Amino acid sequence: MARASAAPCLSDRATGMALSVLAEIGRMLEALSESGQAGAIDLRSLPLSDVDRAQLEEVLGRGEVRAELDIAGESEVWETTYPGVWWIRHRGAGNKIASEEISVCAIPEILITHPVDIKAAAGRLREELETTHV
Amino acid sequence: MSDKKTLGEMLAERGVSRRSFLKYASYTASIMALPPSAATAIAQGLANARRQSVIWLSFQECTGCTESFTRAHAPSLEDLIFDFISLDYHHTLMNASGVAAEEARMQAMQENAGEYIVIVDGSIPLKDNGVYSTIAGISNLQMLEETVKDAFAVIAVGSCATFGGIPGANPNPTGAVPVSDIITDKPLINISGCPPIPEAMTGTISYLLSFGSIPELDHLNRPKAFFGEAIHDRCYRRPFYERGMFAKSFDDEGARKGWCLYEVGCKGPVTYNACATLKWNGGVSFPIQSGHGCLGCSEPNFWDMGGFYKPLSTAKGDPLKWAGGAVVAGAAIGAASAAMARNKRNKVLQEGK
Repeated sequence: MARASAAPCLSDRATGMALSVLAEIGRMLEALSESGQAGAIDLRSLPLSDVDRAQLEEVLGRGEVRAELDIAGESEVWETTYPGVWWIRHRGAGNKIASEEISVCAIPEILITHPVDIKAAAGRLREELETTHV
Repeated sequence: MSDKKTLGEMLAERGVSRRSFLKYASYTASIMALPPSAATAIAQGLANARRQSVIWLSFQECTGCTESFTRAHAPSLEDLIFDFISLDYHHTLMNASGVAAEEARMQAMQENAGEYIVIVDGSIPLKDNGVYSTIAGISNLQMLEETVKDAFAVIAVGSCATFGGIPGANPNPTGAVPVSDIITDKPLINISGCPPIPEAMTGTISYLLSFGSIPELDHLNRPKAFFGEAIHDRCYRRPFYERGMFAKSFDDEGARKGWCLYEVGCKGPVTYNACATLKWNGGVSFPIQSGHGCLGCSEPNFWDMGGFYKPLSTAKGDPLKWAGGAVVAGAAIGAASAAMARNKRNKVLQEGK
């Protein structure tokens, strides 16, 4: 019997989904430009083959900004060569992709520091200054 | 016990930032098939929620559901759920035992009356006054009724708690019944499977915490996000089914080429679950990808469906005898056949109630 991992699947074929996703990104980008309306596409919810995914990544490319996040596992966020189109990849257990989305916005929410964290940071630094004698 | 601080405050003290909530929320939105924009609301909901008290009751079961739920690797995104809940009673996992364990259950019920969630795995034996399974000197039925009385909601996990499972299979010597036969006056969510997919359990709990409400359920009380589609509908071997290309045995040319496993007994067309998309063991594989047909473990009475290796169209006994025979005859009717099988199967189940 063939090994489980050798079971053939359709992940090595292009299905045309990449083009559909690109068209949707295009519509979202128009909306962002005209009205400031942000949008997002959950890539894990789509039946993308490996080839589709590679096509999408190749066409969008990587632009000027790239961020690595260390939060409950690794995450990677980069702006594509189309400003306003961001690729967000979160990894979970075993460094496997837990969620992956295209976010069409000025800046992804996960890169913005939350006011609660800013307040906590201010308190922590104040405490540090009170107890540290350099 | 439940902390009176919000999860946001509690985790902030440990240096967990709001970005962690947002990341977990993105993951939850994705597995719950919610739009990515829902992540912000989920993150906010989680940060403002109190740590959820959970009482886990294990009755006639094998502990496989707990194994699935606690499937932990390195500390990771998926493990954050254990920061969000306070598992106040679980007789396999808790340190306390005997009287101390039962006191912990009582204390959790009193301190969180109306707010705690009861998770049940295992079926409940009713025959001979439930003598076939007892804990702390009381029957499973007594413990369930007593514990659920002041609960906010009940989540039945695994095929035993949702549909009777192995204990309830013919001839059902203990008179085993699912939770739904007993609890009729509380919100009940069924997360079936043997065992259930871990994400289906954690995703549902996260949804409850974030929105304070029950996610949309199907006619068997299962979250539609995970049980809304048949395995067959999202199976990567589906194109072979459409073309009438089937493995005839587990070692023939068709099996080696990854063709459809319908004729070697795959129950994918009548089984609703997310195995084909979420997969198992951190997304590594699922039974069909590993070369074995779906057993139909998330459907009612799957042990009595006539044989794991008999095609749907020839399986003896109800309800799968109703499945369409067109495929076996070689016709590529595909989707129509599967839909017919499902419709007839549902009809039979309804009639059987």
